[in-house]
Amino acid sequence: MTDYSHSRFIVRATLVSILCLGPALSAAAQQPAPPAHPTPPDDQTMREAQPEYPSLHIAGFGDVDFAAVNRNDGARGFTEGQFTLHMVSALSPRIAFFGEVTFTPRVDAGTGSPAATGFNAEVERAIIRFDQSDALKVSFGRYHTPINWWNTAFHHGQWLQTSISRPEMVQFGGRFIPVHFVGALVEGVAPSGGWNINYQAGIGNGRGNVISRAGDAGDNNDVPALLFNVFAKPDRLFGLQVGASAYSDRITTIGRPDYNERIVAGHAVWQHENPEVIAEIADVRHTPVGTSVTTSSLAYYVQAAYRLPAPARLWKPYYRFEHIDIDSNDVVFADVPNLDVSIFGVRYDISTYVCIKTEGRIRRRAANLPWTNGWFSQIAFTF
Amino acid sequence: MVMVGALRRRIVCQMLWLALACPITLGAQTGHDVAVVVHPDVPIDSLTTADLRRLVLGDRGFWPGSLRVTLLLRAPVAYERDVVLKNICEMTEAQFRQHWIAKVFRADTAVAPKIVYSSEMAADLVNRMAGAITFIDAAQVGRGMRVVKIDGRMPGDKGYTLH
Repeated sequence: MTDYSHSRFIVRATLVSILCLGPALSAAAQQPAPPAHPTPPDDQTMREAQPEYPSLHIAGFGDVDFAAVNRNDGARGFTEGQFTLHMVSALSPRIAFFGEVTFTPRVDAGTGSPAATGFNAEVERAIIRFDQSDALKVSFGRYHTPINWWNTAFHHGQWLQTSISRPEMVQFGGRFIPVHFVGALVEGVAPSGGWNINYQAGIGNGRGNVISRAGDAGDNNDVPALLFNVFAKPDRLFGLQVGASAYSDRITTIGRPDYNERIVAGHAVWQHENPEVIAEIADVRHTPVGTSVTTSSLAYYVQAAYRLPAPARLWKPYYRFEHIDIDSNDVVFADVPNLDVSIFGVRYDISTYVCIKTEGRIRRRAANLPWTNGWFSQIAFTF
Repeated sequence: MVMVGALRRRIVCQMLWLALACPITLGAQTGHDVAVVVHPDVPIDSLTTADLRRLVLGDRGFWPGSLRVTLLLRAPVAYERDVVLKNICEMTEAQFRQHWIAKVFRADTAVAPKIVYSSEMAADLVNRMAGAITFIDAAQVGRGMRVVKIDGRMPGDKGYTLH
């Protein structure tokens, strides 16, 4: 065979191979591949993947803070933030326990007799929940009261929130909204198409003898606290959540008559980071039992943040305005101050689990009081 | 004559290469679609993108019939994970991690996604864990696997969004 005839043979063979093998190979490429696992399954992998009960997992949050203020209004210099431990344990496929414990440094450490400890230990949340389905979950325990979005979105995880501080209307230890709730909660997602309407209904002890605390050791009156929260997360506007809440309770404190408390609250949140927008409002009404004289106190805040585009993606500037207007005739809130505050700052995510925040606050408690300026910084992390 | 022969041999070699390369190229295009695979007992054939987002973000924890969802996700850097985060969750890796840390911290769920380290591991576990759902490169989907439609489309269909 000459070179020429040899080449002609190869050309023909190639054409035949294209005509015959090409479609065959194309078809093979579009056919489902053979089973990925002709070999026996790896039992060790399977064992590791199967859930074990109880399955305790612990996560933590911490922060270190620095404050510089022009008046004696709060801590100055370096402060150790809350040391927060979060526990979650699935007890069966449908039952789980959630717990949150904090250790907070005390300003009166070492004083008194016996001497006060350096840190306050507090069980912030302890919840046991039974999940029947997405539509029905029943739980019992101590919660962050689900009538405020911030209160149930960030809890004590400073790293989770964009800003250093919580809005004062839901400040831990604050009195405007009952931050904690001891009782039972029914929650779930109602059939609502693409609206994703969620509900929460609860019954519990309400405020304790000190109104900033929940009735951990029992209800101090015979009127239970009731709450209802409903919010929507529509599919068409992924990232949006809008909701409203109602709360009622009877407040019993030593040396004062009982008051009925009614709270109506609303929130709208755009949870994407560019931009992030959080707005909440709450109206708290107090009526002395047996009368019709009602006081109304209002609080709201609006926070906006924006995650900058690359290459500055680690930076997230933010601004928040807060307002609290206490009814001057409200005896229950006699010690709760008014507030107007502007907060502007920036968050820098130094790594996936650590961020540095710095913010300035300009605030005034009343029209006849001077403005207070302060600069605050925080390193917050999860571990 | 020798030069003509060499030229022809080169052309032949190039044609052979093209003959072999074309099907491979077609296969690679198909393979870049990511299939959504569920356990055979999961009572669904089709999901919307919004359904899938709720599953991946933990907003939906049960299949119809109250069967618990077990989410099997590839470890970071895997192509399938990148596709899910970008196309379904519209999140970066850092945002997705923060979302799940917050989700568990809020007591919304006690179970975070299980991480699988290879397509083989994902394929193995999805067929053996009740209620499991995972994401596998469509080219690696085996015959015994249950692939669900997304917005009415299967991997390879025009308009399929997971790629």
